[in-house]
Order: sequence, then structure tokens, then C-alpha cells
Amino acid sequence: MQDKEFDRLLKITRLRVSDEERVQIKKDFEQVIAYFDELSSIEASGEPAYHPVEVPGRLREDTVRPFADTESLKKRSKTSNGYIVGPKL
Amino acid sequence: MTSYIEEFNRIEKPKDYYDNLFAQLEKLNEEYHAFNVINNKTNPGFLFSTKANICVKGFETDAGSKMLKGYVPSFNATAVERILSDKKFAFAGVTAMDEFGFGTFGTNTEVCARNAFDREYAAGGSSSGAAVAVALMKYQVSVAESTGGSIATPAALNGVVGFTPTYGAVSRYGLIDYANSLDKIGVMARSSDDARIVFDMMRGRDDYDTTCAVDKITAERRKKIFVINGMLEKADPSIKTAFEKLLNRLGSTYEITHVDSSIMEMAIAPYYIIAMAEASTNLAKYTGYKYGLMSEDFYKQYNEFFTDARENFGIEAKRRILLGTFIRSESVKDKYYTKALVIRGMLIREMDRMLKEGYILSPTLPIKAPRISDVKKLSPVESYSMDLFTIPPNLGGFPHISFPYDYVDGMPLGAQLVTGHGNDHAILDFVKEWEEGFEYKYKQNLGEL
Repeated sequence: MQDKEFDRLLKITRLRVSDEERVQIKKDFEQVIAYFDELSSIEASGEPAYHPVEVPGRLREDTVRPFADTESLKKRSKTSNGYIVGPKL
Repeated sequence: MTSYIEEFNRIEKPKDYYDNLFAQLEKLNEEYHAFNVINNKTNPGFLFSTKANICVKGFETDAGSKMLKGYVPSFNATAVERILSDKKFAFAGVTAMDEFGFGTFGTNTEVCARNAFDREYAAGGSSSGAAVAVALMKYQVSVAESTGGSIATPAALNGVVGFTPTYGAVSRYGLIDYANSLDKIGVMARSSDDARIVFDMMRGRDDYDTTCAVDKITAERRKKIFVINGMLEKADPSIKTAFEKLLNRLGSTYEITHVDSSIMEMAIAPYYIIAMAEASTNLAKYTGYKYGLMSEDFYKQYNEFFTDARENFGIEAKRRILLGTFIRSESVKDKYYTKALVIRGMLIREMDRMLKEGYILSPTLPIKAPRISDVKKLSPVESYSMDLFTIPPNLGGFPHISFPYDYVDGMPLGAQLVTGHGNDHAILDFVKEWEEGFEYKYKQNLGEL
């Protein structure tokens, strides 16, 4: 894998790796992808199975359910004027 | 073999039973690291624990990750809620695991659980602490979770029963997801009867999980046992020898049929592709802001803030996030991800055909318990290949059970029995019959009465 592609993946996953991890993960990456490439020897046919069993499309009523635990949310977060503070955009 | 739950409920307990039990457990846990949290102030009752990715109100549930350090859920998972609704059960604590379930041997976490038979050996993963807790304590069951073998593998290595239900039989509400289309909550116990009692309490529809759709559970006994030739060939010779002895023993009751299945033999790659793709999306939400680890460095820019926080993932988690994201890239998605889903469909159809006629039996692992020091030398591909036998039923969502069937060099060996979707009670019945003629061994019996 080219450094450029690896850096692109790091950027979109918001990950940072040390120099040592970089060498290790890149090496593992190539071995794992080579292993996955063995799939090309299988003649695949049929529909993709997104779930192992049939999952009927069950939906709940579209009604408001109040979130019951706002207190612990406030306790855990930094707040300002009733708003939860987050990083700069 | 009887139910330890029923036995415990019948016996009068001394007044200081729980105080003594927890004092001993805390001491033993320093050696084995089965528990991350011990609830020594629990109510009286038959004790159950939960894997550290199943939410229990008021108890730290960190999924074995530094990213979730300090995360204390404000609600119970449905499975936990249903057990606690029976006042005969009491919560014992939270058990150790590989980070987010990413591991076969329980070593991908800061402090790893130790094998209950020998602390130098791997406990198995990812539900490592759950299995060790059952092997150490006479009256305790563990609620665990499997994605690709995380119940069967540690159960086999610690000589306990590990039952993984049909996908969708037990609600996943309150489970910290690894891979949504593969995750299943199950149970580890010292007997099949106890696994059944807990499974029957946990299962059934739940408004909070639309994928919890398997209602009807049957016990249709099969007379035939299938053994997959090509897979058994890949096992260590010592495992093959022991397993063939098991087949001879079962041969007087069941018709043993050796068959080939190239699709089952090739199941590891499609499994890891689907698991990593789903994991990489699930782990996107851990940003040092919403769950667990809280950063308050709000002076940082958006990307810097999240990237700094996500440095807390371990190396296996980083590897799987990167691989899963790569696999989902537009240019290769059809080559890997979509093809893996099609192969999963083929595997389900092939296994389903077999399982209508008989069970599938195999060793649970292709090797004997490895030393922790040896596990650390394995490459990722070598480590993933240890899931050879546990992956097909997990990829297909088929119920399976690992049970102890032999002891070699003082360590237990586990065999894995698989049946069709919804026929969960049949494999529990099979193991119950097995237990009538085979005595499980333990090195510890903490809490014995």
C-alpha cells in the first residue's frame, strides 16, 4: 500500500499512528488484504446476505419518547448557558 | 449432571456466605483477572456476570477499551433486565474481554484474563473473563457475546459450556456493537441445563431491537452428525486424535458422516471482511466526547480534537478500523464487501441443507491452549486462522455450543456442535446427554457449599 493511500485512510478515520505502529500496520495490512484476495477463487452467486436470518422490517410508532436521563448527561458534559460545549468547528 | 442453579437454590447458605465468597474472589481475581468490576455489595441470589460490552446500570462498561474508560451506563441491556427481573439472580460483576471483542485469545486489552487451568496459558477470547469466571466459581453463570467465536473459544480453553444462540434470538439492546449483523448475546455455564435456564430468560422479542426476530425455539433431535473433512485436516494432530476418539464414542448413538464443504473452509476471509467493515463504522462514534473517555480540550480544532482522543484505541482496533474503512472504499467495495455478503448467503444455504439432516460437529479450536507468550508472536492472519471452526456458524447465525470432551496434558479440549436456525434447544439436549456420561473437571470451586 502506498503511503498516500495509507495517509488518506488515517485522515478519514481520524486516527494517528506512531512510526512503529505505521510500519507494523502497513505490513499487516498487506498480509490481510492478500488473504482476503483468496476470495477471487470463489465463484460467488446469489443475493448478498445482509443478515444471517430474515429480519422483518418492524418499525415502532413514530411518537416522541422523552429521554429519561438528562441529568446524567448534564453531569457528564461541560455546559454553558444550558448548552453542551463541544470542539470548535 | 444437574443444574447448579437449582442445586444452589435448594441448599441452605451460611450467613457469611457472600462475604466469604467475595473476599476469596477478590483475592483470586488478582491472579486470574476474570473480572474488571466485582459487585461485592450484591443482593443474595445465584450470581451472574456480564461481559464488559453489555450495559449494566451503574457499573463501568468499557468493552475492554481505554476509549470507554469511565463509561457507566444509565440503563440495563434487555438481557440483563430480564435476568434481574427474577429475584433469585444477583449481579456479580463485569468480566474482562479483548478490546471491543477484537481477539481470539483475550490478550488484546490492557490486563488480560488468565486461563483457569494454568495462568501461563491464554484464556481465549474475546469473552475471556466470562469463561474464567465460570471455571473458577461453582455457582456462577456468565452472560457473554460472540461475533466470530467469542463464546465458544474461551469456553473450550477453560473447560466450560459455551452456548451461542441463533442470531436474533436474544435482544442486542444495550450491547456495545462490534458488528451488528454478527453479534449474539449468549451464556457460559458449568452445565447445559444452566445455559438453557439463562437463555430462556433472556430470549424473546424486544421493541428496542428490530433484529431480535427469532421467536420460535425448537428441540428437533438429529440422528446424523456431519464432520467437514477439509477443516479437520487443518487441525493439529493431537486435536485430530482426541476428536476422532470422541467420534468413535458418539458413533454408537449417531450416524457419523464425513463430507466436504469448500465454502465452510473458506469462511474466514468473508467473515473478517464483514466484521471489519461493520466495526469500522461502529467505532466512528468514539470521539472522546459522547461516551467514555471525555476530553475537554475544546480549544483544539475539530479534527485535532477527535484525532487526539482516538489515539486511545489499541493497535488491533486501529488495524480493524483502517482495514474496514479500506474495504468499504468505493473502488474495492464490490470486490471485498459485497462479495463477502454473497458468500455468506451461499454458506447459509449450504449449512442449512446439512443442518436439516444432522448436526455439524468439530473441535472448537484447531490447536491446544497456547501460552500467552506464544499468542503474542502470532501475526494477525495466523491469529484469525485460529477461528477456522467457530466462524462458519457465527457467519451464518447458526446456534452452536462448545462443551468439554477431553483433557490433554492437564488442559481441557472443547468440541463444537452446530444446528439449524431456531433449533437451539436441540444442541442443549445433546450436551445434556453427553454430561450424563462425562464428568467435567475444574481446578477451583469457589463458593462450594
